[in-house]
Amino acid sequence: MKKRKFALAVPLALAAALILALGVSTGSARTQKQSAAFKAAWIYVGPHNDNGWSQAHDKGRLYVQSKLGSSVETTYKENVPEGSQVSQVIESLIRDGNKIIFATSFGYQSAMVAAAKKHPDVKFEMATGTAQSANMAEYFGAGEDAIYLSGMAAGAATKRGVIGYVVPFATPEVVRHANAFALGAQATHPGARIKLIWTNSWFDPGKETKAAQSLHAGGADVLGQNVDSPATGQYAEKKGIPWVGYDSDAQKFAPKQWLTAAVYNWGPYYLRKVKAAMNGTWKTNFYYGTLKEGFVTLAPYGPKVKAKTKAAIAKKRAALIKGKFYEFAGPLYDQKGKLRVPKGKRLSVKQLYAMNWLVKGVIGSAKG
Amino acid sequence: MRIERRLRQPWWLTVVVPVVSILLAFVLSAIVLLLTGHPPLKSFHRLFDAAFIANGALTETVVSATPLVFTGLAAAVAFRMNLFNIGGEGQLYGGAITGATVGLLLAGTPSPLVIAGMILAGAAGGAFLAAIPAVLRAFFSTNEIITSLMLNYVVGLVLEYLIFDSHSYLRDTTGFEAKVFPQGKTLPDEATWSSWTIHGLVLPLGFVLAVVLAVLVWILYSRTRFGFEVQVIGDSPRAGRYAGMRTRRKILAVMCLSGAIAGLGGASQTGDFQHQLDPRALRQANFGYTGIVVAALARYNPFAVVLVALLLGGLTNAGFTLQGADFPSGLVGVMQGLILFCALGGELFVRYRVRFAW
Amino acid sequence: MTSPPSPAVALRGITKRFPAVVANDHVDFEAAMGEVHALLGENGAGKTTLSNILTGLYRPDEGEILLFGQRAEFQSPRDALDAGIAMVHQHFRLVSPFTAAENVVLGDHRDIGRSFLLRPRVIEQRVRELAGRYGLAVDPRARIWQLSVGEQQRVEILKALYQDARILILDEPTAVLTPQEAEALFDTIRAMAADGRTVIFISHKLNEVKAVADRVTVLRRGRSLATVTAAEATPRSLAALMVGREVEVGRRDEARGATGDAVLEIDGLWADGDRGEAAVRNASLTVRAGEILGVAGVAGNGQRELAEAIAGMRPATAGFVRVRGRGLRNGDPRAAIAAGVAYVPEDRLGTGVAPGLSLASNVVLKAYREPHVSRGPLLRFRRIRELASGVIDRYDVRTSGPHVPAWQLSGGNLQKVVLAREFSGDPVVLVAAAPTRGLDVSGIETVHAYLREAASRGLGVLLISEDLDEILALADRIAVMYEGSVVGERDAGLATVEELGLLMAGGESAD
Repeated sequence: MKKRKFALAVPLALAAALILALGVSTGSARTQKQSAAFKAAWIYVGPHNDNGWSQAHDKGRLYVQSKLGSSVETTYKENVPEGSQVSQVIESLIRDGNKIIFATSFGYQSAMVAAAKKHPDVKFEMATGTAQSANMAEYFGAGEDAIYLSGMAAGAATKRGVIGYVVPFATPEVVRHANAFALGAQATHPGARIKLIWTNSWFDPGKETKAAQSLHAGGADVLGQNVDSPATGQYAEKKGIPWVGYDSDAQKFAPKQWLTAAVYNWGPYYLRKVKAAMNGTWKTNFYYGTLKEGFVTLAPYGPKVKAKTKAAIAKKRAALIKGKFYEFAGPLYDQKGKLRVPKGKRLSVKQLYAMNWLVKGVIGSAKG
Repeated sequence: MRIERRLRQPWWLTVVVPVVSILLAFVLSAIVLLLTGHPPLKSFHRLFDAAFIANGALTETVVSATPLVFTGLAAAVAFRMNLFNIGGEGQLYGGAITGATVGLLLAGTPSPLVIAGMILAGAAGGAFLAAIPAVLRAFFSTNEIITSLMLNYVVGLVLEYLIFDSHSYLRDTTGFEAKVFPQGKTLPDEATWSSWTIHGLVLPLGFVLAVVLAVLVWILYSRTRFGFEVQVIGDSPRAGRYAGMRTRRKILAVMCLSGAIAGLGGASQTGDFQHQLDPRALRQANFGYTGIVVAALARYNPFAVVLVALLLGGLTNAGFTLQGADFPSGLVGVMQGLILFCALGGELFVRYRVRFAW
Repeated sequence: MTSPPSPAVALRGITKRFPAVVANDHVDFEAAMGEVHALLGENGAGKTTLSNILTGLYRPDEGEILLFGQRAEFQSPRDALDAGIAMVHQHFRLVSPFTAAENVVLGDHRDIGRSFLLRPRVIEQRVRELAGRYGLAVDPRARIWQLSVGEQQRVEILKALYQDARILILDEPTAVLTPQEAEALFDTIRAMAADGRTVIFISHKLNEVKAVADRVTVLRRGRSLATVTAAEATPRSLAALMVGREVEVGRRDEARGATGDAVLEIDGLWADGDRGEAAVRNASLTVRAGEILGVAGVAGNGQRELAEAIAGMRPATAGFVRVRGRGLRNGDPRAAIAAGVAYVPEDRLGTGVAPGLSLASNVVLKAYREPHVSRGPLLRFRRIRELASGVIDRYDVRTSGPHVPAWQLSGGNLQKVVLAREFSGDPVVLVAAAPTRGLDVSGIETVHAYLREAASRGLGVLLISEDLDEILALADRIAVMYEGSVVGERDAGLATVEELGLLMAGGESAD
């Protein structure tokens, strides 16, 4: 009984030894050659071609690469889980000589903070995050403004006044996005109700399809989403009900039912920060991009959006840019009808970052 | 052609087969790499460099391997007795929950006390969860594969509920960050598990604990009466009963031991690395399920579990280094898969032989 | 019936050697279309090997197979099936959650079975048709686990008929049947033969063979001795051929000296079988020190359950087991071991030894808790190896060492290990259930010698066996079990074969 176990350990030990030996022999020949190009890296939570959030960031990366050409070398790591793995990924990126690292999911924040402390010479950029330091910047944008406009398209499309909205996590970010969407829909369809279903995941096509299914079964005749995959749209196309996407132009997944989507244009921000890092003028910031700057915008309309709707959206858009209109200005009532923002008041960005209540007409819980 | 069990395993097979299978893995992945237009040698070099050689790489490999040693041992301990505890995943969550709770409760007491408390609590949490399928199996002959697997989902949802859907003791509801995204309370500094640095290699307490456990499990299973009983019952439960062994008690003991080890892995995740209860990180990692793969590759040998966990941890880390704009992550998966596949396939030839006629 | 010109199946000079034995030694055999041909022989006579050759599981080392006059070579069981040869095994090969009809289709390798599209109605219809034609009453939609053993056997036969088997081999088909079921089976066999199918009927029961077969081929020690017409043979002449001597089997040489006190008392014992039926019904027996009490009976009459209940492996539902006057804790094998009950179980590989573990481990399977084998929680490996080497030497176990896994040992060597271990525990009582089943001649002799020796050392031996010869050769007293009850107890010197046979068959005893 002893002998057999020993026999098992031998091949494994050998295999391990072999691998180590192979690694050492090649490793010793390794030279730390530094290429002339400035290195920048991105970390994605999903695949780089997820047709959603990560793809939008990757478009930004490609924009940087095309603008700066051979003077930069950009790379990315995809499908990186939000656990202890992240710090390893960051370390390996730094080892490879990357001088600026963009992490594009909130779950990476604690690893980014730790790495920023450890590597003062590297610039860290954290999307949608909150922790700022000398070499760590935060960036995001007023997605809610564009989402409000996309909500108007949804409101114009609904007949029954019931819109389904597929949402990931019950976070203030998503809560304010859902609120903006609801307010936009109510602008074109007064009294419209927005039903929420939480998936507890940023990117999970399976759960998103199920959520879309039950929203449709629950009476929704238009679907919207704050999650990253186009699964909801594919379902909507099959069932013949209009769909509003999020964070990428995903018209090809629902050519007939596509209305529009709020999208982020990360490219210009990335270009600015990479350039600054290259010439030594990089500074930390808490950037909140706007419609005016073109950081957030609407994706091209689908065939179902009527000219009248387009005109109404264009008007609101102009008003938002000029500052004449703001969706989170009073009076705003919560789900129970309680006045939350009195007339004449408006919510600040900090308040938006901590929003934990849903506006009137939204059906669902802000706790997920 | 047929495959039959070898009556005798010539000693040279145990040397030749792994060497050949590893070489085969390289040749196969080299072909895939060449077909997709990547230089094989350079890719291998980067893979192993990132896993074991580069500055700090081994430390990161150890970080990735630590939970896998725990869950691998947990699976091996149970599978040895033909008890298929698939619940390592949930038991790890359980240990993370109890470990984090004790870490928070004991804030302010001396660090060694807090750490010891977390270790005990983690083990107890995992053992408790494993006891449920164990009791069902021992007294009602319920299939433990199904019960332990289903419990994973239950505990997974409880884990999410504690942070995302409730204002539990474990959830941080104060800071600005916590408002932006629901998260667990950060553990106090005294709940941070110790680590030792040897020539730049950082060994976290969890890893050291896991290796010590591997040794203890080996002694338990190959040197003690308890281990003998487990071997007999695992081989033939009827023979165990015939020999007067208390099979029910053994099922309970082995399942609880397995759960306790997985639970320790959960406590180590919070104490060593995450310092808060982080449902998404835990659920995305799939440590429990990967542990089953580790145990199977290691053929339930505790020492081999440590080696396989390091190999797998290294491969995962290296995978992230290798992938990038010019190297799709899918290709990395293919390479990792080929290496594992060949290692496993090689094992087959040690134990069985193929005959082409008879 | 005389031999027709072209036999359906003919085996010429079939020889099959295994490392230790020649299982078939130039066997000749032939069966005609429409014939029921019995293969008669003791355990180990080569019946199973021969049927495995006929069904393509083994390839003969020498000799040839002729089917309807054509030479046939089977590379695999599939080839034999395609040639129309099907076998109904003793252990059914059925999928218990599936229905009877589904199982019938599963066995079919041709069109319907192969296609993905199953047409349940059509299949059920066909199964019903076949069942009606051959008197195989079974509901095609019933799931296997709901069926009785007899019904399951019918499903197996239907499987064979469904794929148009022309030659059916039935391996001891009546071993698991009630007399009524056996009668029904004989009708089925006759109906199949009347349809031109060939039925090869493997058995070692003389009466059955007389009742159903046209001709009988007797195998002994791997050779085909003779083929006789059943009508002309008598049970006595067949038995003589089968065992190679006149039936007046060797009795115990002489009665042994006076026996001692009662060491094992079984009093009004009841125990349930695996399916929850009352398998042991009010059994009472007493075994004295120094005697061998033989329990005879047809398999499946509660002997296994009785042995397990004594050894604590099966809880008794009523009654007592006492060893040296002290009651045993019910359903606790450890208590039985501690009280001095040694037990050689019927199922050697799997209960008697753990097959995957080494010989050494199996030697200390029970003793591992004793202080001479373990120190505190730790095992003393050197002692274990010494003990195992001692067993190998003393009991002449043929193996390359104590580290060899048990499954690699032959049946006889394995039984030596089991006996050695059971004797090492200083037992008071030895319960031996079918201790020689499947062993070769020398193995049987060895086991017999050890049982006699045990009794002469003062152990009380309870020998449970289906082999009446074995019991007659060894026992001082003989009891018969029938349907869970002890129906007779005789001094060995006074019992006659006729009387015992009658008791085993459920007949009234003469007194």
